[in-house]
Amino acid sequence: MNGQLLADTFVELTDTMVADFDVIDFLHVLTDRSVQLLDVSAAGLLLADPRGELRVVAASSEAVRVLELFQLQSDEGPCLDCFRSGVPVGAVDLAAEAERWPQFSAAARQTGFTAVQALPMRLREQVIGALNLFRAEPGAFDAADIRIGQALADVATISLLHERSMRHSDTLNEQLQAALNSRVIIEQAKGKLAERLGLDMEQAFGLLRDYARARNLRLAELAQSFVSGTGILDSQLQGKPRPRPQPPR
Amino acid sequence: MTGIRPARVWAMVAAQAAIRGGRVSAADACAAVVAAVEVTGAWLTAASDGQAGHLMRVTDGIGELLAELQLTLGEGPSLDAAARGGPVLASDLGSADLAERWPGFTPAAQLAGAAAIFAFPLQIGAIRAGVLGLYRDRPGELTTPQLGDALLFSDAATLLLLDDQAEAADGLTDGTSAGGQPEDLARHRAQIDQATGMLTEQLGTGIADAFARLRAYAYSHDLRLADVAGDIVARRLRLRPDSGASLDGEA
Repeated sequence: MNGQLLADTFVELTDTMVADFDVIDFLHVLTDRSVQLLDVSAAGLLLADPRGELRVVAASSEAVRVLELFQLQSDEGPCLDCFRSGVPVGAVDLAAEAERWPQFSAAARQTGFTAVQALPMRLREQVIGALNLFRAEPGAFDAADIRIGQALADVATISLLHERSMRHSDTLNEQLQAALNSRVIIEQAKGKLAERLGLDMEQAFGLLRDYARARNLRLAELAQSFVSGTGILDSQLQGKPRPRPQPPR
Repeated sequence: MTGIRPARVWAMVAAQAAIRGGRVSAADACAAVVAAVEVTGAWLTAASDGQAGHLMRVTDGIGELLAELQLTLGEGPSLDAAARGGPVLASDLGSADLAERWPGFTPAAQLAGAAAIFAFPLQIGAIRAGVLGLYRDRPGELTTPQLGDALLFSDAATLLLLDDQAEAADGLTDGTSAGGQPEDLARHRAQIDQATGMLTEQLGTGIADAFARLRAYAYSHDLRLADVAGDIVARRLRLRPDSGASLDGEA
């Protein structure tokens, strides 16, 4: 355990009163530091939208994001159980959980995860989301890791609720909704790129992400210009042959 | 599992249409949201991709003035909401940062009688249909449930506007908007968005038309939107520009 990083992380998770506070960046700190600090392979975070729906707002990798989306779609899994009950929910070996979560345990193992621990983001009676930790290897999570993970989730929850009740309440909701819409644009761009180049969605996402990184573009902006057919990516790919022939007209 | 809250919101929109005696439209969402989230008035501008919005419905004279002020001045919450793809929640027009943000609009809006303005972009990712604007004659935030309902009314208005636009263009949706709440858009979000993106390539159309064709296909074949999207993403189904479809393995 990196004591200095842990201390820094607690400071980061309480430092919401800065001028350029961004709720999505803040939640990514929680998932990324969880992976760095704890003996886990990946972390994802679900947050309740004002509409009353759970949304995937942060993930340490795209694979985890897809798995979290799958949980919402199939309406089963430890993160949902944790959010609904407000208490931690875990499984040390998903191979043995086919009865409890038939769809989730299969999808998680296919993604490469065997153990899961979901921790509530909760203050008293109010549950605002869940932090989900995944491990590739079966076996119990370290008890100290679970305590630290829960402490990180608690601090982040208190900071967010404090933020919401303070001067930035409007900002927080504005940022969350704009981020959710950005994510929709990215999915649309993945679809368009996957179809044009004959890729699967994961490959399309990787290509978009790498292209954005190499040119120092924001992923959502690149996706927006590609979907509207105005961006450089679109014109660069314009002349490429399509791997899938068009069906006969 | 379709949520209770979205169903309630769609019921309020449909009730508004029944009172008016017409088919359900985005204008009904604009009218119904006022009482539901306790605001003084509302306006709805429709804008297809890249176009300047035109005013589609206002609930009172002040709402109309607020919408027109923004078009005239070229600044304000509706324009910001459309540009950033997220709501603009200005719960107190008397605050200093809002006077700075919209130096022309803020004092004019206050003079018109508004003290708080909330603008919601009617967008699905890169698809832009318009903006729903709400105002209050006294300052005050939307509560979390009110914000949630305002977002749900915006979702409804977005789909209804897209239906109207598609029908006006070429009759694509064939009555999809007959007051029906689309099932479960939220939970199957990602695949529906991916399928829409794929259809822009298969059909050679813009993203809004691709979404209209996706919904029209599901409706006319009596299938769930999520299932059609799943088939397209899994490459079991392709749509063709001439309205036909081919199922892999059948052709």
